Amino acid sequence: MLTRKRYNYTGYLYILPWIIGFLLLQLVPLINSFWYSFTNFQLLGDPKFLGLENYKKIFTADPTFLQSLKVTSYYVLIAVPLKISFALVIAIILNQNIKGINLFRTLYYIPSILGGSVAISVLWKYLFMNQGVVNNLIGQFGFKAVDWLGDPRFALGTISLVTVWQFGSSMLLFLAGLKQIPVSQYEAARIDGAGRMRIFWQITIPELSPIILFNLIMQMINAFQDFTSAFVITQGGPLKSTYLYGLMLYDQGFKFFKMGYSSALSWILFAIILFFTSLTFRSSESWVHYGDSL
Amino acid sequence: MKKTLVLLLIATLAMGAVFATGSKEAAAQSGPITLRLSWWGGDSRHTPTLKAMEAYTAQNPNVKLEGEYGGWDGYYQKIVTQIAGGTAADIIQIDQPWLAELASKGDVFATIDSSMVDLSQFDADFLKNYCTYEGKLLGLPTGTNVNTFIVDANMLSSFGIDPNTKWTWENIITEGRKINQKDKTAYFSGATPDIMRYWFEIYIAQLAGAVVDNNKKVAFTQAQGTEAFTYFKRWFDEGIVAPFSQTSLFYQKFQENPSWINGKMATSWTWVSSMDKDIGARTMETRQFPVMAGAKNSGVLMRPSQIFVVNNNSKNKAEAIKVLNYLFTDAQALELLGLARGIPATTIGRSVLAQKGMITTMAEKATNEGIAQAGLPQSVYQMNSEVIQVMQDVIDEFGFGKLTPAEASAKLIKNLEATLATL
Repeated sequence: MLTRKRYNYTGYLYILPWIIGFLLLQLVPLINSFWYSFTNFQLLGDPKFLGLENYKKIFTADPTFLQSLKVTSYYVLIAVPLKISFALVIAIILNQNIKGINLFRTLYYIPSILGGSVAISVLWKYLFMNQGVVNNLIGQFGFKAVDWLGDPRFALGTISLVTVWQFGSSMLLFLAGLKQIPVSQYEAARIDGAGRMRIFWQITIPELSPIILFNLIMQMINAFQDFTSAFVITQGGPLKSTYLYGLMLYDQGFKFFKMGYSSALSWILFAIILFFTSLTFRSSESWVHYGDSL
Repeated sequence: MKKTLVLLLIATLAMGAVFATGSKEAAAQSGPITLRLSWWGGDSRHTPTLKAMEAYTAQNPNVKLEGEYGGWDGYYQKIVTQIAGGTAADIIQIDQPWLAELASKGDVFATIDSSMVDLSQFDADFLKNYCTYEGKLLGLPTGTNVNTFIVDANMLSSFGIDPNTKWTWENIITEGRKINQKDKTAYFSGATPDIMRYWFEIYIAQLAGAVVDNNKKVAFTQAQGTEAFTYFKRWFDEGIVAPFSQTSLFYQKFQENPSWINGKMATSWTWVSSMDKDIGARTMETRQFPVMAGAKNSGVLMRPSQIFVVNNNSKNKAEAIKVLNYLFTDAQALELLGLARGIPATTIGRSVLAQKGMITTMAEKATNEGIAQAGLPQSVYQMNSEVIQVMQDVIDEFGFGKLTPAEASAKLIKNLEATLATL
C-alpha cells in the first residue's frame, strides 16, 4: 500500500510543472473567458452580465463574423492539404539513399525552425509586393507584375504559402514513419509485380495513415487559429480577403477592447475546432490502419 | 492520493490569487521613491527623455526614474492591458484620442490642477479641447501637432507642375494628373487606403462640418457623401493616386512603399510629428491643404503631439505630477528634450528652444501654417476606433471599385449609424 501511494505521488511530481502551468496560465483564463463571453467586459471597468447577447449578435448581426469564417475555412482547405502533401512528397524523396541526404534533411527543416515569425512574414511581404522579388523574377520572363498581396483574389493564397512553406515538422514525422515500414513488405510487393504507384497507394499510404491523421489534426487546429502572417503582411486586407478568425478575435479584443465579445468569438472557434477534430477522429476508423501487420 | 492532489490544486490556485493581488499589497513607499515613465518613440525621443530624467534625479536624489519605452506598434494594447492589470507606469505618454476612450471607462488618470503645474504656460483652449474629460484636466500636451501636406518640389517641377502651386481640390486633379500621364508608374499622391480616409474626412469636414458630430450623429447627408466619393473617384480615374491593389499592403505605413521611397509619388498628407520619418532621404517641402469655398470647417487637424498622464493608481501621484511639471516647464529639461516630442506646447518651451536655435525652420513653418489653417477638433465619436474601422471598410470597398459613389455614401451612413448606436 505504501509503495503504491509513493509511486503515484512521484508520478504527479513529474508532471507538476505542467499542472502548475495549466492551472495558472490556462485553466483560470479559460474559465474567465467563458464567463466574460456572457458579459460586456471591456478590460477596464467591471463587466456587466449580458446573458447570450454576445452570441446572438455574432450569429445575427455581425457580417465580419461570416466573412472571416469564410476566409478561415478557405485558408484551412488550401493550407492544410497542401502542406501535408508537400511534407509527404519531400519526406519520400528524403527517404532515398542518396549521398549527403542528412544535409538535405537539415536544409528542408530550416523553414520550420524560422517558423511563422514576424521576421518571416515581413520577408514574405517584400517577396510578394508589387515591386517585390517574385514580380521581378517573373518579369524577366516577360510576365506582367501581379499584386500577389494587394489583389483580393490572390492574397489568401499567397498568405497560405507561408504556412505551407513550414512543412518541416510534418515532414520529419512522415520520415520517421517511412523508416518504420518493413522493407520486406516492399520486397514482397515487388516480387508480386506491383508497380511504384500501386506500392505507394497500397503500402506506403496505409502504413503512414496514423501519421497522416496526427498531422491532419495538428495542422488543422493550427490553421484555424493562425494569426501572425495575416496580421503582419496584410492586416486582414485587401477587402478583408485575409481576415482570418484569429485576426477578428484580436481586433475585437485589442483594437476595440470588446473582451466579452471577443471571448464569445473564441468559444465559438473552440466549438468549431472541436467539431472538426472529432469529425476527423470519427472518420479515421475507416481509413487509418494501426500497425498490426507485423 | 486524492487529498494530495486536491491540496496541490488549492495551493496552485492560491498562488495565483497571491500573484494577482501582489501588486496592490505593496505598501506606499517612504524614503526613496521610484517612478516609472512609459512612452513610445524612436531613439531621437528615447535619448533626450532619458537625459532629462537623469537631470531630475540629479536634483532630487530621493527620486529614481525608470523609463519603459519602445516603438509605436502594440503600445496602446500594452498600456491598456497594464492599466487593467494594475501594472501600468506612474507617468504614461498617450495619444490624444485615447484620453476620452480610456477615461470613459473609469477613473484611470489623476486629475491635474494649477496648484500642481504652472498651467498658464499652456494655451487654455488647447487644454480644454484636448486634455479634459468631463471637466477634469487629465493630462498635459507635449507639443502641437498639425496636419501638413508634404510635396516633392523637384518631382513636381520635373513633370511640368509649378511647385509653388496653391492647391485647390480642382487643381490637384488638373495639375496632378500630368504625373501619371507622363509616367504610368508615378502618381501625384502617395496615399494608401488609410490616408485616403484622412482625405475623405477633410473633404466631408469642409462640406458638412464633420463625419460624426458631438451628438453621436452622422453629420453629412447622402448627397454630401456622394459628392465627396464622386470627387475621390476622379483621383483613381485620373491617376492622381495609385490603385489600392498596389498600396493596401502599406496600410498605415505609406512611407515604406518602395514607390514612395524611390520618388515615384510626389505628395502626401501627414502629421508634422511624423513628417521627418515619412520624408526619409527625400527632399520635401510643406504646403497648406486645399479648402473649398464656403467650407464649414477646414478639416485640418490640430491636436497635442502626445499627452502625458499620471496613473490614478500610482502610489506617488504628487511626485509624478512634480516630474511632469519639471519636464514641461523647467528650462534645463526643455533644452534637454528639444524637439523629441515636436514643438513644445508651453510658452516657455518655445522660447527656450527659439533662444537656443533648436526649432528647425521646416517644422516651425509647417506648424505655423497648420495652426493658421486648423479646423475644429473632431468629436470623440469620430475618433472612436470602431467608427474609424467602419469608415475604412467602406473606403476600401469604394477604392477597390466595389461601390459607386452613391452606394458608398449610403453604406457609410448606414454602417456608421449602426455602430454609433452601440457606443
